[in-house]
Amino acid sequence: MMEATALGVAVAGYGIAGAAALAGAALHRRFDAGVAAPLALGLAAHTLSLALRWDRVGHGPFISMFEVLSSNVWSLTLLFLAAFLRVKRVRPAAAVALPVIFVLMAWMLATHPDDGHLPATYRTLWLYAHVGFGKVFLGALLVATAVSGLLLLGRAQAAGPGGGGARDDGAMERLALRFLVLAFLFESLMLVTGAIWAQDAWGRYWAWDPLETWSFLTWIAIAILLHARVTFRVPPRGTAAMIVAVFALAFLTFFGMPFVSTALHKGAI
Amino acid sequence: MNATVLPASPGGPHPLLAALASPRVTLVALAAIAAGVVAHTQVEGGIAGLLAAVFAAAAANLLAALVVQPRLRADLPLLVFHVALLALLALAAIGRLTALTGTLELAQGEVFDGQLLTSEAGPLHPDGLAKMRFVNDGFTVEYAEGWRRGRTLNDVRVFGSDGQVTRRRIGDMDALVIDGYRFYTTSNKGFAFIFRWVPRSGESMERGAVHLPSYPMNEHRQAQTWRIPGTSREAWVMLDMARPAIDPGRPSRFRLPDAHRLVLVIGGERRELAAGESVTLDEGILVYEGLTAWMGYKVFYDPTLPWLVAAALLSIGALGAFYWRRFGRAEKERGP
Repeated sequence: MMEATALGVAVAGYGIAGAAALAGAALHRRFDAGVAAPLALGLAAHTLSLALRWDRVGHGPFISMFEVLSSNVWSLTLLFLAAFLRVKRVRPAAAVALPVIFVLMAWMLATHPDDGHLPATYRTLWLYAHVGFGKVFLGALLVATAVSGLLLLGRAQAAGPGGGGARDDGAMERLALRFLVLAFLFESLMLVTGAIWAQDAWGRYWAWDPLETWSFLTWIAIAILLHARVTFRVPPRGTAAMIVAVFALAFLTFFGMPFVSTALHKGAI
Repeated sequence: MNATVLPASPGGPHPLLAALASPRVTLVALAAIAAGVVAHTQVEGGIAGLLAAVFAAAAANLLAALVVQPRLRADLPLLVFHVALLALLALAAIGRLTALTGTLELAQGEVFDGQLLTSEAGPLHPDGLAKMRFVNDGFTVEYAEGWRRGRTLNDVRVFGSDGQVTRRRIGDMDALVIDGYRFYTTSNKGFAFIFRWVPRSGESMERGAVHLPSYPMNEHRQAQTWRIPGTSREAWVMLDMARPAIDPGRPSRFRLPDAHRLVLVIGGERRELAAGESVTLDEGILVYEGLTAWMGYKVFYDPTLPWLVAAALLSIGALGAFYWRRFGRAEKERGP
């Protein structure tokens, strides 16, 4: 009961934060406190809900679709909030990032909250390393995408110091690239720790299962993007469009592939 | 990341090498890897040759870039990143050439004699399995309600080449490692009939296990056909259990059934045997000794594993250092 109530408070907090961000974008004003405070409150309530569930079912949110979506809503919010508080120029991007989190949240609320069963091969620290790196990867990519989205929507000027500076697509591109590189590094770590875990658990470090394949393709897509930028004179909007495309690929990989394959990444029956 | 290619100059790199080192070729190679991976995973059985070709092309581009592009060598983290990436590709190739994957099944008390049921080995695999010996001393597999598999624990004894016997408990995340060969327990396990065959011809007695299909995955197909040693007779055997050995309605564990019957059909004649009973044929006597369990193992050998991890972590660390410096420098140049 408490678990569900806390999740309800979290959803309400996220909703208020998203509404404030979208209202700010529509009115060309900034409601930073109106975004950060309910987002932080929602995150605290979500943390409590996840902790209560963890205690009740005896394992972390790694198994059922509900758990995966809930933990990703939590981690994406956490990472976006951290970037929001730490980097001022990221703040207007809340109007792009939070709706993406809403999609996951709506999906989560429409999913049956199965308890799931933790396979024996999931009782390892490699699970936490692999999933943790994956969450930082997606979080950093979300921030890069949100900043890119802002750039593509022609709202880069709002991201200047104080929110009213001259239009600076280059600065926004550099900011998005920083988060993209962070995502690239953490995706690399996710792939390496996943391979170590797979070797220990299933006797193979790489088997081209659908999730492995498409995670690798996401990695290749980021590598292509970074190389393309130093090979050609890609304009900021071009970089931004590519970052959005990479995010779409990553999103389909991590949230679409579980519907294609129920193999090892669902826990080796 | 590669920098812009330098024009060929007198005394400079061969034009072909310069062309191969081009960042544009890098982009083509990366796109080819993506296409190759997609093709490999869409075709039944994969296209290993295509995959090898696109990765080899990328490695050639990377090597040429390291030779031709001064900028790649001037920046230490960038150099280390690209060299580590090249090492990763080389190690993966060496791994494929020397690796072995295979499967085996051992009944309780049975000794592994180096023979695999299935195997796939690289052309340079140094076969070291023949001298390997270990025995399956029994296992437990826990199940949650609804036949959801939990922890697997398997006791084994390893016979070293120096005569030493080592006891180990393996299972799930804990493989048995002997001379670089990793033996993993799997979800593939079941029951086995133990038979003794005493031929009338005076040949020596044979004792063996007939493995039934994996349990509980094949709960309703616990039957097997096999040929009696030294004869042309085929025997069909079936395990008849009063109730499931693993109760799906509550937490349980893999164990032999409380009560069972062996149904044996030879030459169209059906018999039921209990442990210790026998059947007399023209060629000899078949004694049913009892029921036991077998465990299916996966074996994996790849000497490059630790080096792969080291190269991967080195490349990530170097790339992190490169961007850390680059972004830091850009920040300083722009000022506060």
